[in-house]
Amino acid sequence: MGLLLLLIPIIAAPLFFLLKNRQLIYRLSLVVSASLTVISLILTKEVIAASYIQYAVLGGFFYLDSLSIIVLDIITIIGLVASIYSIGYLEEDLGRGKISEDQIRTYYLLMYVFIFTMILAATVKNMGIMWVAIEATTLASVFLVGFYSTKESLEAAWKYLIICSVGIAIAFLGIIFLHLSSLDVLTDAQFLDWVALSEHAKALKTPALRLAFLFIAIGFGTKAGLAPMHTWLPGAHSQAPSPISALLSGVLLNGAMYGIIRTVTIVNKNLNSSQFTGQFLIAIGLLSVGIAAVIILTQKEYKSLLAYSSIEHMGIIALAIGLFTPQAVFGGLFHMINHSFTKSMLFFATGSILHRFGTNKIDKVKGVLKVLPVTGTAFYLGLFAIAGVPPFSIFASELGIIVSIFVDGRFIIGSAFILLLAVIFTGIALNLFKMFYSDGPEPEGEPLKINPAGTVAIMLLLLVIFTTGFYMPEGLRSLIYNAQMIIMGVK
Amino acid sequence: MTKIYLDLLPALILFSSFILVSNKRIASYIRTFRFQSLLIAVGAGVIGLETGRIDVLLVCLLMVALKVIYIPNLLNSTFANVTYKVEKDFFFNIPILIIACCLLVVFSYLAIPTADGIINVQVANLVSAVLIGLIFMITRKKAFGQIVGFLVIENGLFATAMFATQGLPFIIDLGMFIDLLTAVLVMGVLVFRISDEFDSVDVNRLNNLKG
Repeated sequence: MGLLLLLIPIIAAPLFFLLKNRQLIYRLSLVVSASLTVISLILTKEVIAASYIQYAVLGGFFYLDSLSIIVLDIITIIGLVASIYSIGYLEEDLGRGKISEDQIRTYYLLMYVFIFTMILAATVKNMGIMWVAIEATTLASVFLVGFYSTKESLEAAWKYLIICSVGIAIAFLGIIFLHLSSLDVLTDAQFLDWVALSEHAKALKTPALRLAFLFIAIGFGTKAGLAPMHTWLPGAHSQAPSPISALLSGVLLNGAMYGIIRTVTIVNKNLNSSQFTGQFLIAIGLLSVGIAAVIILTQKEYKSLLAYSSIEHMGIIALAIGLFTPQAVFGGLFHMINHSFTKSMLFFATGSILHRFGTNKIDKVKGVLKVLPVTGTAFYLGLFAIAGVPPFSIFASELGIIVSIFVDGRFIIGSAFILLLAVIFTGIALNLFKMFYSDGPEPEGEPLKINPAGTVAIMLLLLVIFTTGFYMPEGLRSLIYNAQMIIMGVK
Repeated sequence: MTKIYLDLLPALILFSSFILVSNKRIASYIRTFRFQSLLIAVGAGVIGLETGRIDVLLVCLLMVALKVIYIPNLLNSTFANVTYKVEKDFFFNIPILIIACCLLVVFSYLAIPTADGIINVQVANLVSAVLIGLIFMITRKKAFGQIVGFLVIENGLFATAMFATQGLPFIIDLGMFIDLLTAVLVMGVLVFRISDEFDSVDVNRLNNLKG
């Protein structure tokens, strides 16, 4: 069953290139992403019941537990919403002559290869294969970032490719050290198997493991957009087509963070304290939030602003993992889910704004609520959500993390963190709310074709982030709780 | 006997990285890369023969086919369409770079043996080769320098992994090769598009996205 997750996208990807009819492509894409979502939800049920899933094929490389199923569910659900939204988005692009029909085929081919590589990264238990998959996510998405072939998008694609490839290469150095630390401890069959590594964590050689953590945290941290390695992220996220920005921000960053979290578990278990990893992750997390705060205050383009906000939220997750108290880890995982849903919704909404107003600049966009009443409202509420205003879910997880910082007795970190969050809220309010309130002339160009499916998708995401703000289903709670136990090394 | 070869080859690979840093012409970048890949292929061959593992020997063959023959030829033919032949402006001049690289070697010798003595001279040499690849990458202004830099970093990693583990599992090697090949093709296509759009492959011109 689980292997279908890997087979379906890889079989479907070439089909997109062969199909001539555009409508057929759209339908195939919907079928593929919907079936991926259904399978992953069924697997989620199995994982809740049995705590992990493993198949015997190919040396048992396929492995899912509560932690990886959270990442997997985010991939498939956001993937489904992206594929619903893409239809209207691409039709609009086509109607405005920005892309050709051939490019639609390339778009879907690359998008499903991209989704395949991310699913692979989340469902294997071998760090080596996971590394190969994460490197492949970059290669699959480069041309999606450079999709419009403008100067800016090509520049963004080049930076993305070079910085992330080098970053990932450094992570591989870390993986080699991880293996070296396990020499004489694991058998050949358990090569880089993180289940075994985590089980025998106490016996691993500490010095090599420390080096491994540093290299992996820097390497995967590059891909996760943590400062100061974040420089590729704003360009890539703002230049990509909006559904792809949503995937990059809501899904890809989590994949890289997942790699770091797995390593942290092993290292902390070996050192028997979280001080070493904690200091590093807290510092890098606070730095990310700080840099994002400063730049959000002065940002001129709304998609870049959202990209910096992704850096901020990845920083918050890193901070939570660095604290390594049960409550903080729980909050961090919940935050990962909330950020994915909220941020992808916002990027979908910017797609409509970008099409209608034809510009990326904040001060050229005026009166969004009047021109786009439905999407505009969703965008407006989404901005409150991403800034951490109740009753949305990001507020709940941020509050959990803040409380855990103070319970842990780290008052300076806690105060700095709250201050930075306040600055970010100010920045978002100061810059983006102008788009809604100021009355401008009706933008030139024809109005958008109605994209009912896409609008419904945005509304659904809004509903999700609204309800999870004050109500958490029991299944989700136990899933996050189990994942937290895995990270803490209790299980 | 093989121990001598296994100690010698990483040193030579490190040496070839120094050659690379002192190269100025694009054609010699590619030649040095070819030479370095050949050394790693020989290393894979020696390890394969010593351990008697067929898959490591297969890696050696793949290495020769891909990195000694195919990728350098691909780079040469891509490069034939680009106008510049000699890099004139570096961010630092070459003697300073060489000194910086020497410091990097010292650094990795200091940093790595702290790991319980299980990490040896070979690994220290190869990690320095990776670091030198990074230096090379950030000091070249043209897109080509960055591609070659990436390949050299990858070479260094591959060699580190191979010498440290006496041959990775084949599936990971295969994954790395596929990734590498795709990366080179993607970079090649992207360089073409960039030089079309910007009339230049100078990465300093890529400065539209700021802030």
